[in-house]
Amino acid sequence: MTVRAILGLVVLNGFVLAVGGTVLFAVRGWRTWGELARLVGLAYLVGVGACGCLWVAELVVGVPFTAATVVVTGLALAAVAVGIGWRLGRRLPPRPRPALPHWRLTTALFAASTVVLLEALFRAGRLRALFEYDAWAFWVPKAKAIYFFHGLDEHFFSTLPGPSYPPLPPALEAASFQFMGRADEVTLHLQFWFLFAGFVAAVVGLLSRRVPPLLLWPPLLLALVAPQAIGRVLQPQADLLLDEFVGGAALLVALWILDRERWQLVSATILLAGAMVTKREGFLLAACLLVAALAATVRDRRSWPGLAIAGLLAFLPSVPWRIWFETHGLSSDAPEAGGTGLFHHFDRAWPSLELTLRVLFTYDLWLLVAPLAVLAVAAAFLAGRAALAVYAGLVLVFGVAGFTWITWSFPSLPITENPALNPVIRSVGALVIISAGLVPLLLASAWGREQA
Amino acid sequence: MPARGWMAARLVELLEWPHGLARLAAAACSVCALAVLVYEVPHTVSTLGDEAGANAALSLADREIGGGNSIVIDQAAAYESRALIPADATFRVVIGPNLKGATSLTVPAASAWFSYFLMPRRQAGGAPWVICYGCDTSKLGHYRELWHDDNGISIGMVA
Repeated sequence: MTVRAILGLVVLNGFVLAVGGTVLFAVRGWRTWGELARLVGLAYLVGVGACGCLWVAELVVGVPFTAATVVVTGLALAAVAVGIGWRLGRRLPPRPRPALPHWRLTTALFAASTVVLLEALFRAGRLRALFEYDAWAFWVPKAKAIYFFHGLDEHFFSTLPGPSYPPLPPALEAASFQFMGRADEVTLHLQFWFLFAGFVAAVVGLLSRRVPPLLLWPPLLLALVAPQAIGRVLQPQADLLLDEFVGGAALLVALWILDRERWQLVSATILLAGAMVTKREGFLLAACLLVAALAATVRDRRSWPGLAIAGLLAFLPSVPWRIWFETHGLSSDAPEAGGTGLFHHFDRAWPSLELTLRVLFTYDLWLLVAPLAVLAVAAAFLAGRAALAVYAGLVLVFGVAGFTWITWSFPSLPITENPALNPVIRSVGALVIISAGLVPLLLASAWGREQA
Repeated sequence: MPARGWMAARLVELLEWPHGLARLAAAACSVCALAVLVYEVPHTVSTLGDEAGANAALSLADREIGGGNSIVIDQAAAYESRALIPADATFRVVIGPNLKGATSLTVPAASAWFSYFLMPRRQAGGAPWVICYGCDTSKLGHYRELWHDDNGISIGMVA
């Protein structure tokens, strides 16, 4: 609750951004400093994903998790990234000449609205108490365990709820505590403000050059101000972080389908790796994205090995954690109904699907995001942008099928919208956040203004 | 009229199959989103402002205890336990029938909440430090009470 704690978060997130910038330097480089400024949000998300994967690996092998660990890990990653970038021929652009940005009035208006929204969120998070059950019951206690005991304390990780949940969010929160100077659960909410701001900046940065402002900002802002999205931004839990990773990755894969630039797939791989060490649903959503991308590129199967490698590389950082929780006898995260068990509960299939669709299309939860996403897919298809439309449409279809499967395969979950009893509302939020990036791209494609 | 002719041409262009309709759908999406945002953005900013005000109005204890406010009955119990139990000690929460003012969450969630609040102190089955929520202290053995309140909550050590 102190200025020192906030400054600590600023330093941590600035550091992660700088590390992500070096990773971006390795995977794509930049021609101008303005280009780097445009991609600053992507650099930040990539930094969180890359650092997070390394933190998880360090925790698993028993490296003491302290502020020094965070700094040394980041510096080592940055050094490797700069070295790789240099060997690949990347160089820093010439010094920038001071110039005012050339923004259209519409861009300025929407950007100002976004800044006002972010400022209001910051104020709301500044002195927020920790009320959410999942946050105080296990996400934050796990973070405190890492902070106090400098590692994966077996006592806490085996006795707290959700023992098999991946540890990136607690590691990130523990890093926040380290930089804040104490386990400050109040100021911790602002860490999640930084993640949200980074995601918004990433989407805007990736799309601002190729999507007209009137097609970019309205669907983006609509997804962000949806009551269930904005209401979860500051919660110190894994849900929105997962959605932000997957939302960024989904957009990058869409851009890769259009452009086939390697950096887009590499960046998406890092974000998907981050998603898989954030929450179990990360595996499901990564599979949805990659299978949708395979289907969308069926006419150009030369790209399939790239997608397969991306999926494999994204999966690898989650392996150490899975080994750790299996070898420590933590309870499994497999579906209760198991493989063929689904057919013993066939009566739950339709109600589960109906529940997922009802939740996704409920205005009071997600405004018009889902109907507009469906319309945007249809529009892009009509406009002849079949690959993009097929990809986005399948991501939505597979996502709905996946979340249906979650309710179906856990017979102990009642078929209800009650968030205390069934996580379906939180789960489908991923599709809404994915839509925040995909819908503007679809609309621009349909309009004929999307530039490859 | 040239203006009317221009509008008619645009309309025909927008209804042209399939690209015109695709553009019409894209425009419709943007307009619908804008229409919703005209209300939602100010409403969201206002709601967040109210939330910020409510958060600022919380006492330090209300803010720090957060979700525990609907569980612990007495904030003093939380602070006294943190003051009395050493950081490297173990404790247990024992709940019994002699509790006054319990909420529906007290019995199911008190143990988990104290686990979170008192970290790095660990909970353990036979721990010497006891946070007694209406428990029968005679069943604890030689219990030395160090603090209690009027709700039947006490903190002490078992020898």
